[in-house]
Amino acid sequence: MALLEVNQVSKHFGGLVANQEVSFALEQHEMLGLIGPNGAGKTTLFNCIAGFYPVTSGRIIFDGRDITALRDYQTARLGLARTFQIFQASGDLKVLENVMVGSFLRTGSRRKARQTAEGCLDFLGIRAAAGAMMADLPVAAQKRVALATALASDPKLMLLDEVGAGLNKSEIEGLVALLRRIHSERGIALLLTEHVLEMVMALSHRVIVLESGRKIAEGEPAAVVKDPEVIRAYLGDHYIRRRQETKDA
Amino acid sequence: MEAIRNAFDFTDLPRGEMIIAALALLFLLLFPVLPHSSFAMATMIQFLMFSLYGMGWNLIGGYGGQVDLGKAQYVGIGAYTTALLMIRLDVPFWYSLPVGLALAVIWSFIIGYPLFRLKGHYFAIATIATSLVLKDIFEVWNFVGGARGLEIPLKGNLPNWLYLQFKQDYYYFYVLLAMFLVGLIYVNGFRHSRLGFQLRAIKDNENVARSLGIDAHWCKIKAYATATAFVAAVGSFHACYNFNIEPEDVMSLDLSVLIALMAMLGGAGSMWGPIIGAAILVPMKSYLGDWLGGKAGMAGMDLLLYGAIIMFIAAVQPRGVYGIVEALRARRRR
Repeated sequence: MALLEVNQVSKHFGGLVANQEVSFALEQHEMLGLIGPNGAGKTTLFNCIAGFYPVTSGRIIFDGRDITALRDYQTARLGLARTFQIFQASGDLKVLENVMVGSFLRTGSRRKARQTAEGCLDFLGIRAAAGAMMADLPVAAQKRVALATALASDPKLMLLDEVGAGLNKSEIEGLVALLRRIHSERGIALLLTEHVLEMVMALSHRVIVLESGRKIAEGEPAAVVKDPEVIRAYLGDHYIRRRQETKDA
Repeated sequence: MEAIRNAFDFTDLPRGEMIIAALALLFLLLFPVLPHSSFAMATMIQFLMFSLYGMGWNLIGGYGGQVDLGKAQYVGIGAYTTALLMIRLDVPFWYSLPVGLALAVIWSFIIGYPLFRLKGHYFAIATIATSLVLKDIFEVWNFVGGARGLEIPLKGNLPNWLYLQFKQDYYYFYVLLAMFLVGLIYVNGFRHSRLGFQLRAIKDNENVARSLGIDAHWCKIKAYATATAFVAAVGSFHACYNFNIEPEDVMSLDLSVLIALMAMLGGAGSMWGPIIGAAILVPMKSYLGDWLGGKAGMAGMDLLLYGAIIMFIAAVQPRGVYGIVEALRARRRR
C-alpha cells in the first residue's frame, strides 16, 4: 500500500488554476521528487497535501487514512512533517528550544522533549549551536535546524519545500548526504520539491513533473530528463525545435 | 510530578538574575518591618497587584504575542464575584476566590473562541470592545450596583482572615505577596511547559507552528484562560482591599492599558518583565502623580511624562527594560 496517495487533486484560486487533477502515489520509504518550472504549482500541491489549503476537488490518502479534509496541524499529528521554502528566522527561541517545539508533538514531558531534540541536533551535526539564536546562524545551519525540528516531531513522511534554495554547491552536497541518512537511518519517506535539479536527481527514486498545475511526466530521474515534454516545459518550444533542426541537418 | 519540578526549576536563569531576585524577595519580605509611610505601603501593594496583572497579561501578550487590551474585564469579574457573594450570601473570600476564577475562565473561553479568529490589531481592538461592553452592562445593571458600584460592609471583628478584612495594610501586603510568589512559580512552570513552548512557536511563526501539529487557535485560548485566572484573582483581592468597587475603577480601559503597558515596558515575553515594569511605573505613577498633581499644580502632567518614557523605551528597545539588560549582556559576552 502506498504511504501517500494523491487522487485527482485540483486547487483553484478563483479563476486561477493552480493544480488540475494531479494524481500520484508515494510508496513506503520512497524518496520522490516533485519538479517543475516556476509557478508550476509545486508549493500549492504541498500546501494541499499538508492541509494548509483545502482542495477544490480530489482526495488525499495518507497511511491508509483520508486526510483530504484535515487541517495542517492534524496532518502533522498523523506524521506528515512539512518544511517551508522561506524559513523565517525566529526571534525568541533558541535553537534547542526550537527543536523541542517539534518533539513536544509526541510528549508532554520537558525532559523527554529535550532528549529527543538533542538527539536530532546530534543527528544533523548541529549540537554545538544548541544555545544559539536562530537569527545568528548562517542559512545552511538554519535549514538544518528546520530539518531537526521536523525530525523531532517523529514523522513518517517529510515534505521538503525547496530545502536547497540559497545554498552553495558544497552545502547542497552536505544536505543531500544528510537527507539520505534521514531516509535510510530513520526510515522516513521524503517528498521534495526543488529548483536545484542536481539535488532532486541525486536523491529521488522517482520524479513527478508538474507544469501549469498539471502532471506532465513521471518516472525515473534519468528517463524524465530526456522526456521532450519536460524539456519543453523547462526550456521552451524553440529549444525542442532547434534540437530537431540540428538533428535533421 | 514533572510539572511541579519544572515550576521550581530556575536553573536556566543567569546567576546574577537569581541573586537580584533573592535580594528583592528579601526586601519584600522585610518591607513591612522597615520604616515606611502608609503611602509607601499603599504603593507597594499596588506594585504587587500590577505585577500579578502583568504576569497574567504576559502569558498571552508576551509569550503568545497577542496584544490584549481588555484585561480589566477580568479584574471586574473577580472583584464583583467576591463582593456580591460577600454582600448577599456572606461567602468568605477564600470560597469566592475560586468562584470568581471559574467565572472569569468560563467567560474567557466564551469570548476567546471568536476573539482568536482575529489577528494583530484587530484582535487588540476586539479585546478593548469586549471589555468596554461588559463595563457598560455593569454600569446600568442595578443588581450589581450600577455605576455607583458596591460597598462591602465590615464582617465582624478585625483582623478577619476569612473575609480578608484588616485594619493594617501589612496583612494585605503579606496575603498579596503570597499570591505573588505562587504566581511567579506558576509562570516559571508555564515557560517550561509544552503550552509555553507552543505559544512561543506561534508567536514566532504561526504557519510553522501549525505544521508542527500545534492547534494555534486552541493554544491561544488556553493561554488566554490561564492569563485570566491571574487577573481575576487579583480582582477578588482588590474588592476586599478597597471595600468599594465600581465599574470605572475595576473595568476601565485605563486599567487594561496600564496592565499591558507595564508588562511591555518591563519586557513582554520574559519572566521578570512585568515585575520590572510594575516596579518602575507604579511608584512613578503614585509619587510623580501625587507631586505633580498636588504640589506643582499640574495634574495630568504625569500621564504625559510616562507616555514619553514608554515611547522612548519602545523606540530604543521594543523588548522593554529586560530587553536592554539582555542586549547589554550579549554585548559583554562578545
